[in-house]
Amino acid sequence: MAYSEKVVEHYNNPRNVGSLPKEDPNVGTGLVGAPECGDVMKLQMKINPDTQIIEEAKFKTFGCGSAIASSSLATEWVKGKTVQEALSIKNTDIVRELSLPPVKIHCSVLAEDAIKAAIGDWKKKHGIEAPVAEKAAH
Amino acid sequence: MTASTTTTNPPLICWNCHERARGTHFCPSCGKLQQITGSTDYFSLFEMPRKLWIEMNALEQKFLQLSWKLHPDNFVNATDTERELSLKRSSELNDAYRVLRDPVARVEYLLGLENMRKEGEHKQQAPPELLEEVFELNESLDELREAKSSGGDLGALKARLESAEKNFGEKLGEVDAQLQATARDWDAAVDATSDEAARKKVMGRLNELLNRRSYIRNLAVNVAKELGEA
Repeated sequence: MAYSEKVVEHYNNPRNVGSLPKEDPNVGTGLVGAPECGDVMKLQMKINPDTQIIEEAKFKTFGCGSAIASSSLATEWVKGKTVQEALSIKNTDIVRELSLPPVKIHCSVLAEDAIKAAIGDWKKKHGIEAPVAEKAAH
Repeated sequence: MTASTTTTNPPLICWNCHERARGTHFCPSCGKLQQITGSTDYFSLFEMPRKLWIEMNALEQKFLQLSWKLHPDNFVNATDTERELSLKRSSELNDAYRVLRDPVARVEYLLGLENMRKEGEHKQQAPPELLEEVFELNESLDELREAKSSGGDLGALKARLESAEKNFGEKLGEVDAQLQATARDWDAAVDATSDEAARKKVMGRLNELLNRRSYIRNLAVNVAKELGEA
């Protein structure tokens, strides 16, 4: 099975690789994993507390090409969005954009989880009640 | 999914003599090789309870005995149906043996049977501490790779990789020991005919251990790969 062009493109030129200071009160960190394939994904966002706009996003993923592409795309998409908008990104959007085959859908689920986890962490730092954990759709 | 009732619920009567067949492998009435039914799992194929401690010699003996009985060579002059059944059943027997004799595959299989192992699209949650640990280990492996490609001190690098390999090997050993101990808990729960909740708890623990094992094994494989190229 071959990777789609978009996956290969993100894999070769991943956007926003790196990390942000974890202790920064405006940085939210999401660390998620898929045990069945051994992937781990860390997604971080710097969020402006006044505007709730995501000003910066970084990721580091240890995993397959699809996991790397999914998280790379996720950082691209959340940048410049508000927290609310970012929370509305669904894994199915990522599947569509990257043309992920069914066996790689869990990579997109991981990316959606990472976005939610990072925002959840930021909210916790700001004493905002985290919404009831929403299960990612498949 | 659409499946006809005939494929999901094979009749419990013998396909040949139409007597109610009770034997797992052969019809007690006409002696013909029986079809695999939906309720047959690897444990019942070997006429064993769904327990995790298996006596290897007994398993092997049973396997040899059954392979002998089900072997296609015994059906050279039989009908097409029987020849086909013998092929199918022999290959199933081989699969079953391969899974049951491997302690980790056995746990995985049992969890699947009990609907406790979720894979693929279904989400698995890993505990945060484990993720932190795995992430850090991956990062140090990354550093090693970078040092290697930038032509660092290869001797020192090799030493670090070897120590990482030893470390992961030890961790794998720890997980396997925990897996074994928890497998005994499962068997005890089966023996005590514990309630659903108690059994689920043991299954959950087994599942967590399998997850941890799969992360560590991945890391170990990656280190071994780097070492092979060092």
